[in-house]
Amino acid sequence: MAANFWTSTHYKQLLDPEEVDAVHPLDKEKGITTEDFKLIKFHLANYIWKLAQSVKVRQRVVATAITYMRRVYTRKSMSEYDPRLVAPTCLYLASKAEESMVQAKLLVFCIRKQCADDKYRFEIKDILEMEMRILEALNYYLVVFHPYRSLSQFLQDAGMEDMTQFTWGLLNDTYKMDLILVHPPHLIALASIYIASVYKDRDTTAWFEELRVDINAVKNIAMEILDFYENNKMCPEEKVAACLNKLALKPQI
Amino acid sequence: MAIAGPGQLNIIESPSWGSRSVDCFEKLEQIGEGTYGQVYMAREKRTGEIVALKKIRMDNEREGFPITAIREIKILKKLHHENVIKLKEIVTSPGPEKDEQGRPEGNKYKGGIYMVFEYMDHDLTGLADRPGMRFAVPQIKCYMRQLLTGLHYCHINQVLHRDIKGSNLLIDNEGNLKLADFGLARSFSSDHNANLTNRVITLWYRPPELLLGATKYGPAVDMWSVGCIFAELLHGKPIFPGKDEPEQLNKIFELCGAPDEINWPGVSKIPWYNNFKPTRPMKRRLREVFRHFDRHALELLERMLTLDPSQRISAKDALDAEYFWTDPLPCDPKSLPKYESSHEFQTKKKRQQQRQHEENAKRQKLQHPPQHPRLPPVQQSGQAHAQLRPGPNPLMHNSQPPVAAGPPGHHYTKPRGPSGGPGRYPPSGNPSGGYNHPNRGGGGGGGGGGGGYSSGPYPPQGRGPPPPYGSSGMPGAGPRGSSNSGYGVGPSNYPQGGGYSGGSGAGRGSNMMGGNRNQQYGGWQQ
Repeated sequence: MAANFWTSTHYKQLLDPEEVDAVHPLDKEKGITTEDFKLIKFHLANYIWKLAQSVKVRQRVVATAITYMRRVYTRKSMSEYDPRLVAPTCLYLASKAEESMVQAKLLVFCIRKQCADDKYRFEIKDILEMEMRILEALNYYLVVFHPYRSLSQFLQDAGMEDMTQFTWGLLNDTYKMDLILVHPPHLIALASIYIASVYKDRDTTAWFEELRVDINAVKNIAMEILDFYENNKMCPEEKVAACLNKLALKPQI
Repeated sequence: MAIAGPGQLNIIESPSWGSRSVDCFEKLEQIGEGTYGQVYMAREKRTGEIVALKKIRMDNEREGFPITAIREIKILKKLHHENVIKLKEIVTSPGPEKDEQGRPEGNKYKGGIYMVFEYMDHDLTGLADRPGMRFAVPQIKCYMRQLLTGLHYCHINQVLHRDIKGSNLLIDNEGNLKLADFGLARSFSSDHNANLTNRVITLWYRPPELLLGATKYGPAVDMWSVGCIFAELLHGKPIFPGKDEPEQLNKIFELCGAPDEINWPGVSKIPWYNNFKPTRPMKRRLREVFRHFDRHALELLERMLTLDPSQRISAKDALDAEYFWTDPLPCDPKSLPKYESSHEFQTKKKRQQQRQHEENAKRQKLQHPPQHPRLPPVQQSGQAHAQLRPGPNPLMHNSQPPVAAGPPGHHYTKPRGPSGGPGRYPPSGNPSGGYNHPNRGGGGGGGGGGGGYSSGPYPPQGRGPPPPYGSSGMPGAGPRGSSNSGYGVGPSNYPQGGGYSGGSGAGRGSNMMGGNRNQQYGGWQQ
């Protein structure tokens, strides 16, 4: 990815956790709690990931799509932006933005194959229309910086290339949370290295010291990740369905 | 590297998310035709600010929002530089239909989406094609340096522009040049060696590697285009006006020599090399053809128009070239003369009106005026810089057969009526489309005192020694030397009145073809 992160809107738009967790008033009216909100986004991240497997796109597209979805819900309500449509549309848009274009037709086909639930089924025109609404919601900011690139540079620098798979997997999992909206990507990458070094018993203290980053920030992110693993062993389908039902299905547009 | 200061991207400040309606703007005039829609000059109703609106056509889009527009937006949002056009915001047109609740849902986007840009008065082609326009050397250096600075910024940010040409280089009345139309641009990464399409870059500016079918390429493609523009500025007209790919390659080979494994290692492995391999040996004759160019200019041009992309000069190195650091130095953009707005689109339109006019004139048995010439740079830069060009210019002494002069008494109703004819390039297979030498026409001084072409006999027009590529296609006269008054824009309008050219009679009045460069564009612009 080009351009400098520090001059990017991605950086300028980093949010406080409270802002990210704030439930839109319209959704609140329907009884959606912060927990529900997080759970739905967790579910959508999984949904996007599965859908991406069947349309065969790179991890980067998945990561961008999930980021779009999470950005949309910092501004828009789930009542007005049906999560079941937003998720595939974000994948569709991300596939264009990341130069791995997936045809809308194929996406619709894969959704049908994958989802038994009628509420997940949409026509091409629904996706195209939602695409425009999402573009507006995102204010056409489509560039996302991900932690993957800095990860490989860090691992190389630390002589920990053998940890690539482990840390990469950790990073994939961070998209189940809102970290990408809150922290600069390189700190997320460092957090994954920190976790890896603790788990695999590597001494990286000296290396981290030399980096001159705020090690406490890194540790806090690492704790967030570990907490998430602790509290979300899986994504309970029934609970998600209950949350989505609260949203009273399709808003009347 | 400038980043957008506060308030520059009003998107950030906009209080609510979601885009404004295009109704916030009042369209004034169409100023161009983009890759996927029209471009208008418009005024923001609230602030009175003049902007350019570029329409993104949404109809006929089976895949929703066009990926080309996504690329352009993505790229423009991450590039913030004084030599890259600024995308201010994106607005939507509500379109005529609304549902019962008055919500513009669904139809909202059928009306179209507009990208709002800062307004720029000119594009380089439009400016260069202005009748009587002649750039001074410091002015050319100034434009070239800005072009290279902007491009270098793109390249270090891993963006390929892929459509560098005069009409995509916008110029404002402060003399600032900005790269625009990123509709074909792409991010590239040096490590991710993706295959890219070779169907990019406007034919005349397309580098040999793309014409030969390469799908792995980098910033060097843009540098070839820069070389073409540079040569065009010095030479007065496009140097490779091919009408199709084979002819384009042929024109390149004629000037730059044919590629082989010696001057371009690996060329024989490029997909279509064998199809296009020239049948006869062809020598590089760039130096010979452009021998009248300034030494440093020629040196730089040589390195830009290098066949092998891996040996072609980078934007960064080009900025370090002697050319930019020897007298006359590039001037300060602010010192450049101000011109009345001119975009290629408009010049073209005016030329059409002109043609109409000429046809009428013809009926009155007036001789058809020759096409609008573009003038080569003013060769002397006035007091500030004494010596522009080392060595005598042989061409200046040539005797020149007088050429059919323009129609006497030919008056244009518009104060700055477009000059020149319909601006045709001679059909390209015609070798005469080739190189002509600036600097003939010794004393083009006084011509055209009155309006437009009026009265003044055209100064004798030179033709140098038979140019290597012939020049029969060159029409003779043009409004060379026509003075400022013809354009009705006051003395600051034209470099002749300005600091660079004062008093120099030399070097005026060469007659370069301007012309309608879009005429032959058909077919390959996708």
